[in-house]
Amino acid sequence: MPLVAYRRVALRLAVAAAVSVAPVLGPAMAASPGQFVEGVAKEVIAIIKTKTGADRQAAILQVLQTSFDLPYMGRSALGTYWNQASEEQRARFLKAVATAEARAYSERFGQYGGQTLVLGKITPRANGLSIVESRLNQTSGQPIKLEWEVRDTDQGQRIVDVKVEGVSMVMTRRSDFNSYIKNNGGTVDPLIKELESRAVAR
Amino acid sequence: MIDGTMKSMSASVRLSVVAVALSGAMVGGCASGDTGAAEVWDPLETPNRFIFSINRAVDIVAVRPIAVMYREWVPDRAQTSVRNLLDNLGEPVTAINEVFQGDPNRAATTMARFFVNSTLGVAGLFDVASSFGLERTKEDAGKTIGMYAGVEPENGGFYLMLPAAGPSNARDATGMMMDYLVDPFRILTFALNIDWFVYSGPRYGANLIDYRSRTIFALDDLEKNSVDYYAALRSAYTQNRADLIRQKREKTNTRAELERRDNLALVR
Repeated sequence: MPLVAYRRVALRLAVAAAVSVAPVLGPAMAASPGQFVEGVAKEVIAIIKTKTGADRQAAILQVLQTSFDLPYMGRSALGTYWNQASEEQRARFLKAVATAEARAYSERFGQYGGQTLVLGKITPRANGLSIVESRLNQTSGQPIKLEWEVRDTDQGQRIVDVKVEGVSMVMTRRSDFNSYIKNNGGTVDPLIKELESRAVAR
Repeated sequence: MIDGTMKSMSASVRLSVVAVALSGAMVGGCASGDTGAAEVWDPLETPNRFIFSINRAVDIVAVRPIAVMYREWVPDRAQTSVRNLLDNLGEPVTAINEVFQGDPNRAATTMARFFVNSTLGVAGLFDVASSFGLERTKEDAGKTIGMYAGVEPENGGFYLMLPAAGPSNARDATGMMMDYLVDPFRILTFALNIDWFVYSGPRYGANLIDYRSRTIFALDDLEKNSVDYYAALRSAYTQNRADLIRQKREKTNTRAELERRDNLALVR
């Protein structure tokens, strides 16, 4: 009996230590890109299970801002048009894209129905980039292939692209935006207006 | 009758040789050290957009609603059986492609699947072979051409919007034609003079609804979150096909893919 009690105390101490130490050590110990992606996935699942509607969208936007490199993604999506945009246009564009992405992701994640994310190979690349392969196992049907591009930035690790079955979100956006710009006078303004009006409309 | 089959088969083979040569010329003609970051080559954009608008109208009023009803109302088990049946009819074409992809072992497995499922699986309604450990693969001639084309798999020749069939390109449309020509079931219907409405029509129709019912979520998402749906779909299709072809090539060449990604990072 005393031994069991002692063990219990030890266990409690260990748990307490882990809980209190983890937040301190968390940012200091650089987690692997795989752990980072897994952490983000857990965070998102927790949001989906507890929040709905506007709350969910706000929480998802929060995750996007802290775990995704939205400015980098936005710049990539605008491609060569980024250079000819003014500072003011860039700021407006990034804001509109962040809102649009938050809505898109919160809708996508809204379909969540008990899928599990299984991490695969992690390939480190040049420029502080890592590619994390993973599989989203569905309750019915084929698993979905997901690839995460994680980059080391000044603020820590950030996701810079997600590939679903080989389709990169950033590259698709880029084609989408470039084509829209080309068909609307070759300037960024109509695109920004369109994105902003969509942010208000729905 | 056998003579007829032989004749049509040799005609098919001759046609497919021409098609391979043609597609090789088309695909090879536009090779220029691209990194995959370049836009999809779409010289026929205006007619493509026109066909896309017709496809979309048909999709909105007919195909999507039927696909939604199919997904919601038909029991899951029945849907799985339809899928299995259609997959089983496609196995011989997959096996033929696997032979041309230089993987006869895989082709043998596919044919084993075909015979097991056609008999024990009651004409393909049940996928018994998978429970025997014979896993399903799906190959088409577009992938076969892409494997040997020697260009970035993002480069499939000019982009093409096909009526009803949807997004494609020179490579995949050629592949589709070749698959159609070598399909033993298609050859059989011609040889036996089976009416289109009895076999081919229902098969293609079922394929369309089944495929559409499985892409409802992805396509709705793409449409809602894009400012130019046509361009977004063109990009997504091209990337998805390139990924499938890259998986085939990766068995022999992982380095090329990693180098491509580094190039991509530099372009950004």
